[in-house]
Amino acid sequence: MVVAIRRILGILLLGLVVNSSQAQCILRFSGVVTDSDTRERLSGATVRIKDIRLEVKTDEQGRFLFEGLCPGSYNILITHIGCQPVESHIHLKDDLTQDFVLPHTHSELEEVVVVGATHKHGTAITEELKGRQLAATRGASLGESLRSISGVNVLQTGATIFKPVIHGLHSNRVLILNNGIRQESQQWGSEHAPEVDPYIANRLTVIKGASSIRYGSDAIGGVVLVEPRLLPAAPGLYGEINTAFFTNNRQGVLSGIIENNSAKHPAFAWRLQGTLKKGGNSRTPDYWLMNTGIEEYNFSAAAGWQQSHRGLELFYSNFNTRLGIFRGAHIGNVTDLETAIERGEPSEEIKSAPFSYTIDRPYQQVHHHLFKLKAHHTTGTAGKLNLVLSGQYNNRMEFDVKRFASSSDAPQLDLSISTVGTDLVWDHNNWNNFRGTIGVSGSFQLNDSYKQRVFIPNYRAWNGAVFWIEKWTKGKWMLEGGLRYDWRKLFDIENNNSERFADQQFSSVSGSLGGTYRWSPELTTTLNFSSAWRAPQINELYSDGLHHSSARIETGNPSLVPERANSWMLNMDYQPFRWRFDIGFYYKDISNFIYLAPDYPPVLTIRGAFPSFSFRQTDARLHGLDATVGYVLTAHWKAEAKASILRAWDKTADDWLIQMPADRYELGLQYEFGNAKHWQDSYVKLSGQQVMRQTRVPVTGNIEKPQPDGSIRMESDYAPPPPAYFLLNLEAGTKLFWGKQPIQLSLTATNLLNTAYRDYMNAFRYFAWETGRNIGLRIMLPLGKQH
Amino acid sequence: MKQKWVKLLSGFGLLALTLAGCSKDKDEVSNEEELITTVSLRFQEIGTANVFVATFRDTDGEGGNPPSIDEIVLKPNANYSCSVELLNESVSPAEDITEEVQEEADDHELYFIPAGANITINRVDLDSKSLPVGLSSTWQTGAASTGTVRVVLKHKPGTKAAGDPVTKGETDIDLNFTTKLQ
Repeated sequence: MVVAIRRILGILLLGLVVNSSQAQCILRFSGVVTDSDTRERLSGATVRIKDIRLEVKTDEQGRFLFEGLCPGSYNILITHIGCQPVESHIHLKDDLTQDFVLPHTHSELEEVVVVGATHKHGTAITEELKGRQLAATRGASLGESLRSISGVNVLQTGATIFKPVIHGLHSNRVLILNNGIRQESQQWGSEHAPEVDPYIANRLTVIKGASSIRYGSDAIGGVVLVEPRLLPAAPGLYGEINTAFFTNNRQGVLSGIIENNSAKHPAFAWRLQGTLKKGGNSRTPDYWLMNTGIEEYNFSAAAGWQQSHRGLELFYSNFNTRLGIFRGAHIGNVTDLETAIERGEPSEEIKSAPFSYTIDRPYQQVHHHLFKLKAHHTTGTAGKLNLVLSGQYNNRMEFDVKRFASSSDAPQLDLSISTVGTDLVWDHNNWNNFRGTIGVSGSFQLNDSYKQRVFIPNYRAWNGAVFWIEKWTKGKWMLEGGLRYDWRKLFDIENNNSERFADQQFSSVSGSLGGTYRWSPELTTTLNFSSAWRAPQINELYSDGLHHSSARIETGNPSLVPERANSWMLNMDYQPFRWRFDIGFYYKDISNFIYLAPDYPPVLTIRGAFPSFSFRQTDARLHGLDATVGYVLTAHWKAEAKASILRAWDKTADDWLIQMPADRYELGLQYEFGNAKHWQDSYVKLSGQQVMRQTRVPVTGNIEKPQPDGSIRMESDYAPPPPAYFLLNLEAGTKLFWGKQPIQLSLTATNLLNTAYRDYMNAFRYFAWETGRNIGLRIMLPLGKQH
Repeated sequence: MKQKWVKLLSGFGLLALTLAGCSKDKDEVSNEEELITTVSLRFQEIGTANVFVATFRDTDGEGGNPPSIDEIVLKPNANYSCSVELLNESVSPAEDITEEVQEEADDHELYFIPAGANITINRVDLDSKSLPVGLSSTWQTGAASTGTVRVVLKHKPGTKAAGDPVTKGETDIDLNFTTKLQ
């Protein structure tokens, strides 16, 4: 392996030498900038090469020209008043002519979430995954795709279930918006992965913290936006075929898009999209993880009808998955768990299991349907009125190991939740440097007819909200403030044994205030304060029973009050010559933070002792740092370092909070090849990731741990956090031309050295190693004319 | 314009109704899971008509109301035959789980582990591979003493072998009965 890496590095170095010997700074880069709606040529648009801080304006014909450029790759930013800025990446080897089309800010197909021109998300602290970076994550689940963003971790349940964690918070504290609609499912479970097909998106955005109150006050951790590309505005039939193959679990993925804008009715456009995925058992460096297969089939359909002043859009998506749960993690009681931990690895029968695509019990089967209708109409020149209607149905079935071969085939847990919602939002256009959004939103939920095991009761819920966000932009300043009032009522709460529980009603105000100051074109700082709250969820109030995946009994607490988070975030974006610093600090004070507290003594059941937990509240403080530092060494070489640091403190207990991600550091070195005739955008990136051992865990808990000297110590966890680990990853991509047909290839190798390690954030760390080396090959074939 | 919104809203209402129709019928199987709620150990003193029954019962399953558990009280220096009865009393009529263990004896094994109490326990019933099952056993008590007997039922689909330690397999039952020989 080491030899192979040396060889790769050698080739890269050779490439550098060859290329730099050719470097002569005589190249020209020219083009035309047009408006995407009117197709007019835009004069006075600014074209900026960010890397070398060169800037020109387009002439009356919309033309621009740079001369005397060195070969290499550059980041371009094109801006024009009234248009959304466009960023692009070019590779100069010969003279290059490239035209740019700027979308109009009033573009009718934009999501309502687009409020601003230059800063799409106002003063919120965001990070995006798109283009090449997103392409390199294709085939992975949503949670897994997001983990490359600094400050984002994953909560894992074995090799198949990934849940995003933003700044240490997850589940109900992280909102996921699928094409603008709040994903409504059983988010409370740490082993309930988001039911979203990432192939729908051409951009994944993470809004960190509660810095945006637009989507809901309960997003104390953050918001994940899954954003599809706009429907085609230019006539033609377009498509995309994506395939991906992975060596570790022999997974294959096929995903396709077909979309059309008819020449006859240019206002009308549609798209169909679908994904098929099948993978078998994953493999650690030593053994196969029995029963960790995955199956997924998803599709979505979208249609839009756009006129200059009004438009209508329909969207439907259907997500279906079946996820195997590692057989070796199935335990009967605490004694079994302790036996497994003591053994340190799965039992022989489990370890010797061969590779298989078969998914047996225990497994999860989840279906999610989402329907959306969006209509908008301009209200004179003042603004635009948007109406969104949505309906969702989520069904989650969990199949545990059967006690007897003759036992029924029914799932042990079967939950359905239906949600209908509506948003009415008015975006107003610029008025005295103010732009803003006023909206109301409401939804009705029916968590109905659980079957088999009782864990959470049935209920109905009403949610209502009003909000108003205004943004003021002038010169180097941008200020944004928002207010939001939310109301939630849970009623008809009962279990199937006609036991009824008290109704619950919560309401409160949240607000945010932020300011961005652009000191110079290179330096921008943003300070954001927000106060948000989250109502206790059904499981926190009324769960009662055995949570099988965690082998513990969880008891809800009907007297919980909402938690409130007051957060400060400070972000600095500084891009001096060759450097890029993106550094963000956050400080979050959460009062009445709801958490699962261990009870003593453990609960006695027929299967022996189970640790028992009940929901309680404390005051917590979470603060940390997300940093990305980039340096352009030459036109071909780039280095990047990332750090995510989090400190989570329980102020009442005067101790650390449990189950928080450990500090993570990453260092990457990237080589960009110059463009050749048949190869474009080619790059190789080698990165190392160091995850530290989580040493900040509660000192004591309710778990009896016999010590070697015979005494008993009370611990907070069954096993201490696993040691620090280092992983080496490789990524390479290129755009190949087969005649005129471009083919995008992406190759990734994660855990290149096949390191055996465990991660603290994986619930199955007690039972097995993490997966070993995984090489993924992705092929993307864009069809039709590119736009 | 207004009419259009009205149309939209009514269409949406229709969708809501459709969705509501999707949610499944409430009368289907509900709250029915194969639980073992009750473990009864029935002791018959050999050569006499003396019978003693010790029962563990948790009719609402894990969590909820706490279970009840009897003490095992036997005579010292005596011989007993013990039979185990397993029930699911969360349903009415109660379901006999003993039969299912019997039918799938090749995958199940009961263990009896005395601690402190002076008892020798031998499992007498065998499965098709001549491995112990444990639904029937003999208990030979010694001098008067007090301690516990741990009763464990393990599920070992396809992996049951001779001399398996109690740690092998998945636990279906794991109970400690306080035991008095007096």
